[in-house]
Amino acid sequence: MIELILNALADLGIDTYRISRTESQSAEAFFVKKRLDLTRRTVLTDYTVSVYRAFGRDGQKLLGACDAPVYPGMTGDEVKEALSSAWHAASFVGNPWYPLYEGRREDFLPSKSGFAGKSPEENLKTMADALFAADTRGDVFLNSAEIFSTRKLHRIVSSGGVDVSWETCEVSGEYVVQCPSPADVETYHQFRCLEPDAASLRADVEKALTRTRDRAAATRPPKAGTYTVILSDEHMRELFSYYLDRSSSGMIYQKYSDFAVGRSVQGDGVQGDAVTVILKAAEPYDGEGIPLRDRTLVEDGVLRAIHGGARCAHYLGIEPTGQYRRIEVPSGSVPLADLKRRPHLYVAAFSDFQMNSLSGHFGGEIRLAYLYDGETVTPVTGGSVNGSILECQKHMTFSRERYSSARYSGPLAVAIEGVAVAGLDG
Amino acid sequence: MKVKDSPYLRANKPLFQKLLAALLERYPYASILASDIREKSYRVNRVTTSLADGGIFSGRGFVVKVFDGGHWSEHSFNQISEELLPGILEQIGRAAAMAEIALPEGVTAGVYTAPAEEKAVFSGSTDYEVDPDELGDDVILARLNAIKERGLAYSDKVLDCAVRAEWNRTSKLFLSPGKDLQQDVMWTTGGATVIARKGQELKNSYKSISCLGGMELLDRLESGVEKIAATTIELLDSVPIVPGEYECVCTPEVTGMIVHEAFGHGVEMDMFVKDRAQARQFIGRYVASPLVTMHDGACSAPQTGTYFFDDEGVMAHDTVVIDKGVLKTGISDYQSAVALGTEPTGNGRRESYRRKAYTRMTNTWFEGGADSVEDMIASVKDGLLLEDPSSGMEDPKNWGIQCMVNFAREIKDGRLTGRIFSPIVLTGYVPDLLKSITMMSPDVELSGGGFCGKGAKEWVKVSDGGPYIKARIRLG
Repeated sequence: MIELILNALADLGIDTYRISRTESQSAEAFFVKKRLDLTRRTVLTDYTVSVYRAFGRDGQKLLGACDAPVYPGMTGDEVKEALSSAWHAASFVGNPWYPLYEGRREDFLPSKSGFAGKSPEENLKTMADALFAADTRGDVFLNSAEIFSTRKLHRIVSSGGVDVSWETCEVSGEYVVQCPSPADVETYHQFRCLEPDAASLRADVEKALTRTRDRAAATRPPKAGTYTVILSDEHMRELFSYYLDRSSSGMIYQKYSDFAVGRSVQGDGVQGDAVTVILKAAEPYDGEGIPLRDRTLVEDGVLRAIHGGARCAHYLGIEPTGQYRRIEVPSGSVPLADLKRRPHLYVAAFSDFQMNSLSGHFGGEIRLAYLYDGETVTPVTGGSVNGSILECQKHMTFSRERYSSARYSGPLAVAIEGVAVAGLDG
Repeated sequence: MKVKDSPYLRANKPLFQKLLAALLERYPYASILASDIREKSYRVNRVTTSLADGGIFSGRGFVVKVFDGGHWSEHSFNQISEELLPGILEQIGRAAAMAEIALPEGVTAGVYTAPAEEKAVFSGSTDYEVDPDELGDDVILARLNAIKERGLAYSDKVLDCAVRAEWNRTSKLFLSPGKDLQQDVMWTTGGATVIARKGQELKNSYKSISCLGGMELLDRLESGVEKIAATTIELLDSVPIVPGEYECVCTPEVTGMIVHEAFGHGVEMDMFVKDRAQARQFIGRYVASPLVTMHDGACSAPQTGTYFFDDEGVMAHDTVVIDKGVLKTGISDYQSAVALGTEPTGNGRRESYRRKAYTRMTNTWFEGGADSVEDMIASVKDGLLLEDPSSGMEDPKNWGIQCMVNFAREIKDGRLTGRIFSPIVLTGYVPDLLKSITMMSPDVELSGGGFCGKGAKEWVKVSDGGPYIKARIRLG
């Protein structure tokens, strides 16, 4: 099919293009309590063909782009018609000209994951066993679970010389934990495993079971006020997304962010820990075929790099780094136990914790938090956290303990001083 | 004009019928859903123009669902031909065999009873006024750019004005032993966002609109960008709210978010099957003020959640979920209805042929009341007007609310003071909020500018809305 597309592009005289193909197979299982409710398989091939058209307007050199709807099984004439339509549409998209990323043909990179070489069904079984192995307590249990085991073969070919291909394997999913007494409650959890680390998944489920039992014992929200709030686990990744987003070439080019290399991005007079963020190459290439390598993004609160694709990199006169999804953050110096010594609100679960990188606002409704008033720890539920990273980033202290997931490796927790919390009046 | 059918689905229908016949030789029940979906999106802002012929829903593909006498399994694929049929049948066999090999210790395969379906043959398409293809990409982008320029010109404090439009043309074919259904539906959405800077903080206001139809939507999109820009400039002087419980008037957009997030997710009956929804215990009981009547259904309103039959071949419904404050029923996909022994309500929806069907909302809304908006605001001694919903998260089990609202306007002694608070988080217990509703305006507005997820995935297009409502809400 790629040959068919290349021939059609040549016939149409389209000399600037990028073709992405993903061939995927998955095995999927859906469980309700301890009952297998549905099984699924998918076998899919997807193409994304972007065509680029250079033209001039008012003395300015422009480049238009449009994705074309190309599907497997299309005939040569159908492909040609789709590409021709996209080529026509691209002439109305007048962005300043930029070059596509220029690369070369590279050898296929097989996945190094422990999932590689096994069928999606086998990998699904491994992680399903791990998930349910922890479900032994009786009073708190897995209410339901969905598991998706996927193997993908990626290939990107472009007129810039890129011809790269690689394999990825993963098992991802979600599960809900229920505790019927003293209050009937549930908690929702997601997982994404790049390695068949059954022990980690089992430990995560065990932690989820414990926290859901704690949530069942929580009866009221915290009092409204200002707290030292402790966040942990995947909420750490969401918190750091502010630095990742604001250092992207797209946000900087659009002047949504004034981050600049060599300048502090954490403000002056940092009284807590300085922020360091490393971009991690979780896959060998990004969606433009740009090779990914680990890069220091922020070091001790100072921006060291701007990241992003070819277009905005050209506009800003910087090297295109590609798009990253995983970050690494160095450990803090303070044990979590020490962070917890002072009065605090440790929010273990939100309904949906969000960082708005435009406004800097972060928050969410509290599903489970542990309130320590200096003497006792009380589980609480309800109310919401409403913070601003712009105001709080000078007062963040990171834990020595670490947490790792598909998108984040770094301190398990952070204590943030002076965060507004909505809850009970008075 | 009527949306045309898909030549691709029409041409390949004999092949789908052949596959179905082969499946029925192996399984007591089988169905095929074939989709051909095209969508196009247009985006402009101060420095960028983008156009994509494709989106998260677009593509051609198929999902086969089989029942082997006790267990359901599915296979999704996007290539079909005479030569590929044996391989497709083998893959379906592998999906069914997973019921034996995917079982962890202590887990058993679920057992369902044989499905029963009534015979039905249907073909339908929705209407539109302006065909996006005929209007042309150049005209659409030029009109969006003109809106953008007006937004940018409103004030030198405006950093950016982003304007977008998308259209989606969905053709589906559903074949089963008793059903031969075809539908062709087109919806269009658009919106404008104006951004301004306050130091390191960026403030924005936006408006999304949608219609069941085509690019006639642009006429509506062209009015109102100055109002959005004015609100954004106002937001530069916004302050955080003092957390607490307030008397609130909600715009129809905020009402829609409450209807959808706070209550709609709680009556999705696949959650009843899993014992994940508190609503199941409240059927027949008051869960809201007697002023409240709530609908959901693909044929309950002409909007972005409209279709003629769902992804399991069940015809669309208009379900009255709450009638004068009393919870009457939930909404259901087919497999959940079989498990619960209830009637399916035409709410079995897939993100695409790639994904499983779940119970999903469609067009979800409150009926209007009898109070004018002016009277509602005049009745508030110390409260807020909530505007610009941004996101929400469901909690069917515990009926907790998390809804994010961009801003709130202060009301003192029945008048808007001009003071503005941002951002706002709504929290609380759903029945407490719904029972506190004391006033509702007559006119109902629905909007389908966004997407609905299930948990953190499975995006589908929906609409929601209602009238202005007055209620007591905990804010932070």
